[in-house]
Amino acid sequence: MAIVSFPSSILKVTNLAKSFGGVKAINDVSFIVREGTVTGLIGPNGAGKSSVVNAISGFTQVDRGVVELAGHDITNQAPHRIAARGLIRSFQIARELQKLTVLENMMVAPFQQLGESPWRALISRRAVMREEREHLAAAVDWLQMFNLFPLRDEYAGNLSGGQKKLLELARALMAKPKVVLLDEPMAGVNPTLTKTLQGYISRLRDQGVTFLLIEHNLSVVEAICDHVVVLAEGAVLAEGQMNELRETEEVISAYLGG
Amino acid sequence: MSSLVFYLLTVAIFFCIYSIYGWGLNLQFGLTGILNFTYITFVAIGAYFAGVAALQPGNGGIGGQYILGWHLPFPIPPIIGGIAAAILALLVGYVGLKRLRSDYLAIVTVSVGQIVWTLIGNITPLFNGWDGLAGVPQPFNSIFQLDFNHYQWIFLVICILFAVLGFWIIERLTHSPFGRVLRAIREDEDVAAALGKNVFRYKMMAFVIGSIYAGVGGALTIAYIGAFNPSGFTTMETFIIWAAMLVGGSGNNRGMILGAFIVPVLFNEGTRFLPSTPGNPLLAVSIRGMAIGLLLILAARYRPQGILPERKTIFRLDGLQQGGEVGGDRVVPQ
Repeated sequence: MAIVSFPSSILKVTNLAKSFGGVKAINDVSFIVREGTVTGLIGPNGAGKSSVVNAISGFTQVDRGVVELAGHDITNQAPHRIAARGLIRSFQIARELQKLTVLENMMVAPFQQLGESPWRALISRRAVMREEREHLAAAVDWLQMFNLFPLRDEYAGNLSGGQKKLLELARALMAKPKVVLLDEPMAGVNPTLTKTLQGYISRLRDQGVTFLLIEHNLSVVEAICDHVVVLAEGAVLAEGQMNELRETEEVISAYLGG
Repeated sequence: MSSLVFYLLTVAIFFCIYSIYGWGLNLQFGLTGILNFTYITFVAIGAYFAGVAALQPGNGGIGGQYILGWHLPFPIPPIIGGIAAAILALLVGYVGLKRLRSDYLAIVTVSVGQIVWTLIGNITPLFNGWDGLAGVPQPFNSIFQLDFNHYQWIFLVICILFAVLGFWIIERLTHSPFGRVLRAIREDEDVAAALGKNVFRYKMMAFVIGSIYAGVGGALTIAYIGAFNPSGFTTMETFIIWAAMLVGGSGNNRGMILGAFIVPVLFNEGTRFLPSTPGNPLLAVSIRGMAIGLLLILAARYRPQGILPERKTIFRLDGLQQGGEVGGDRVVPQ
């Protein structure tokens, strides 16, 4: 039986807790993200979604709990180490590198580039250029897929809000991540582009990319998430598929119906 | 006539040295966004260590007292000057770059400048205190045995060689993946970290490499003048290098050359020709400071990116895009 109905978990969060002063932002959160799926993380404002994202990606230190990525304990590691392990996050408000061109934004992403060492940049110019060519080819492919290729030489700061979101997703993929953590990718994006982004994410999932998605728009969540984790008051309230969750009493009262 | 040639040679030498200073500061601020408000302190450390590396042992007599006195031949003293500045940068960077935001780092650098200045002035056994070092031997002149007027030509050639090498290195670094990471850090540290870049390490490298430029520039300065004391590294000096960078164009190494010409050469040297005012000998000095300040204000108002702004990186893509025509859209997933 080679049916991969239950792919293995690639990201595992166990008993995560984090307080800011007296405020418990994360109480006790455990969930897993399976490889090659889109997992949604939803919940009302203040449920602790952003805190969970920051905790997983190393931008805040947790008080308790374990985060594992592909079997490695990444709890409380520095953000760049977690990224190098293969977890790439986006930010709630698009954070493009403004005075770098679109193409340069893409070219920053690959890990451990030869020419990132000043010494190699000076003495191994040929090898560095060869590597740059390889990365350029990949960057061009991604930009063409996301329809950003015509804007490649534009400063990223000059893009529209939606284009910045696309660039952020493309840049994350450029890093060949194991897991992409998207913090509200559809926030402030018009309905047409939302549909487009939705299409990209589903398609990338089919190609084997794993997503953890924080999203407020429940129809988006229903359309693209294979599994949904509902947070409320810093704890997991329920999980399952979105259409099931819509029926669940406590989810409705905490989130949907209010 | 010969005095004019002498003067122009002096200006040309300082033009080279200020360009070297500028590239180092540009790497720190223009590329990486590190606010170093005491750049001149790294110049001074380079100058002092290069000085005591080149001088005979101090005897406490006429030459004063100082450490080392290794009497090493050129070009070893500039190397020692560069290393000394790099070590100071490591120490300051470890305190200032690890956790502090750039504006707090700026405060740390100002404090470091004051501390180093006061210590060097007051601890006479280090570098002869407020009197400073003097009689530093001229590079290679034990071989050439030229008088100072003719020796200027030799020293100009030395400075040009250093400047060419310095420019080559800084341009390579700027336009490499290393430089790209530095610019990414300047734009948004969190994004750089989220893409797997060790922000502290890169900032430290930029800080140290920039300080090596300062140190080597300082070593050339003391080799040329033959003397150096705490009046040579006051806040005003840092201000002049900053002004040169901002006017010329931060993020652009060619802009730095232009800035080094406009600010230290035209404004700082040019104002020396103002007629001296009887009874008020400091007037020209004050006017010089005001003129540079005014230039900076005008640049900030009318050309904040500098005369030669940072250049856009355009990649050559020949043979890379699959869609045929440049700009042709392709593969739109539904």
